[in-house]
Amino acid sequence: MKELAGRLSALDPDAGAALQVIAYFDRLVEARAGLEAIVRGAAVLAGCPARLVDEERHVRVRVLADGSRGGTATDRWQEVDPGWPVGAAPGGAARLWLEMPGPAGPVHAVVLERAAVAARDVLDRTRGRAPSRDDPALVELVLDGTAPEQARLRAARSLGMEVTGQARAVAFAGGDARIVPADTDPGAALPGRRTGVGPAVPVRDLPASWPLALLALRLAADGTDQDPGPRVVVYDSLGGLAALAAAVPAGADPVPDVHALEHAASAAPWMLATLHAIAYAISLRAAAAQLPVHHSTLQDRLAHAEHLLGWTVRDPEGRLRLQLALTLRRLHRHP
Amino acid sequence: MNTMSTPPPFDPELTAALDMFGAAIPSSISADMIQGMREARASMPQPSDEELARDGALVIADHTAPGPEGAPDITLLVARPAAAAGAIPAIYFIHGGGMMFGDRRLGMPDLGDLALELGVAIVSVEYRLAPEHPHPAPVEDCYAGLEWTAKNAAELGIDPARVIVGGASAGGGLAAAVVLLARDRGGPAILGQLLVCPMLDDRNDSPSSHQMAGLGIWDRTANETGWTALLGPARGTADVSPYAAPARATDLSGLPPTFIDVGSAETFRDEDVDYAVRVWRDGGRAELHVWPGGFHGFDGLAPQAALSQDAKEARLRWLRRLLGG
Repeated sequence: MKELAGRLSALDPDAGAALQVIAYFDRLVEARAGLEAIVRGAAVLAGCPARLVDEERHVRVRVLADGSRGGTATDRWQEVDPGWPVGAAPGGAARLWLEMPGPAGPVHAVVLERAAVAARDVLDRTRGRAPSRDDPALVELVLDGTAPEQARLRAARSLGMEVTGQARAVAFAGGDARIVPADTDPGAALPGRRTGVGPAVPVRDLPASWPLALLALRLAADGTDQDPGPRVVVYDSLGGLAALAAAVPAGADPVPDVHALEHAASAAPWMLATLHAIAYAISLRAAAAQLPVHHSTLQDRLAHAEHLLGWTVRDPEGRLRLQLALTLRRLHRHP
Repeated sequence: MNTMSTPPPFDPELTAALDMFGAAIPSSISADMIQGMREARASMPQPSDEELARDGALVIADHTAPGPEGAPDITLLVARPAAAAGAIPAIYFIHGGGMMFGDRRLGMPDLGDLALELGVAIVSVEYRLAPEHPHPAPVEDCYAGLEWTAKNAAELGIDPARVIVGGASAGGGLAAAVVLLARDRGGPAILGQLLVCPMLDDRNDSPSSHQMAGLGIWDRTANETGWTALLGPARGTADVSPYAAPARATDLSGLPPTFIDVGSAETFRDEDVDYAVRVWRDGGRAELHVWPGGFHGFDGLAPQAALSQDAKEARLRWLRRLLGG
């Protein structure tokens, strides 16, 4: 590589050198090399330090011209010089700089272009698809069971997905959809919005994950005092609640316990949050700490709540009845 | 033996570098290619004395030493850090090249790094090459050079008690053989042996030699060519001396601390691992590194690769420990 780097500076417009650069990065991608290997290839072939920055994914890699890792204690990150040649792959959020005075000669331009494309592919493969690549029309097509499989797989590929891998459909309050790789944490998707996450399935089967993501979304709460509960619900963890949700379609008549719950809720602003804490905390003490209120205050509130509901919430049967009422209320609230 | 087994994959960075230069370095080398490859190497630009001297940081000099009994003199290239005073340790280095190629300058640029980093002298011996000079000419030249170095240590500014014998590839095999000779003849003291992907076994029949046929650098065809150049028809027979092929040694006790490294994807993997295992079994000290996905001589072809940097670092650390102890 030393020799080739020498040739690059000596014979810049040489077509043979450009072809060798292309072959080098192609081979790295084929062999599934990591990010650092790609940035190192750019640095060594260009004969200057190279840095890759993807702010969205918090990725920063810097390699010096001799191939050693930069960005260490003795090698502080300097500000990006606006004169440095920079490359970015289409559809990628990462940018790659050659730390040398621009503009780049023809072979250096090839180094930048090929390294940026290779880095984008590695980032998409290892860090998940960049948010900027969530084309709603493509996502819709991938989730559409009436579309031909070939069209769905082509759309998945355009979204940068590994079509042989597994993924989950994700439904957001408001109707937005997204697809996330199966191995990423589905709970990490956009906090603050109600989110339902479908089961992990092969990419070709994503239309089956979508309705289950919508079902999980119905059980997701706003996380407010009037709608306490988890904002992100993953279908896999629902168990029998999935059957319950499926049995309560939009527009169905609420059972009397749901009416009782609404009646209690209208009596005090703290009611729903308190009942939710009681229903899911491991003990009264834990519920009091979570709210937070004094233990004796909680006892007073529960006596009041039980009076309005008409059943005790301090034994297991009562807690299950309360959990079901809260769950059913959420299903009616989010049809 | 399963001759069809799947070879281990090359490291991604190494395979990309190998593809880039692979056309210039055939995996298989036959006897009829020797002359052409020597000429190709001779026509390549070689580092000048000035470049080897690193702007005067190293003092470079050629020395002539008597060869083995009845054989011509040999030449040794000595490099010494200019800043070093007094008697310093030395690495007695034997270059590689499959017993058929190379000279005392081969590998000197990397050795210059070691010399400056560790404050040691490098003594690089030029030995006669096969097939024109079959066994025992190469190993006896190397041994004669080691004896001369020990005898002239004072004039060279070398501490004779701190001489490390090292070599890469064929040079690693010759280094191992020189160390066996020194043990068996009661020769010069040796502080340690640094065997970099050494060529040890003329039988050329290990699983790795079959597994890597036609792949990477120095496959079993090239290996057969090299050993046949050195040994002629005796190659692979019961008639091979351990001083030609150290893997033939039945006793590896009484050796100095040994460092062996090798790639997992090269012909020499199994014979090199086996040598380290046998040093341990015979009660010796050995450090073994098998670098995953490394082909033969990977750190020379792709010095910037992460694996190459780590391999060089491992050698440096072993040398530091050895010299510090």
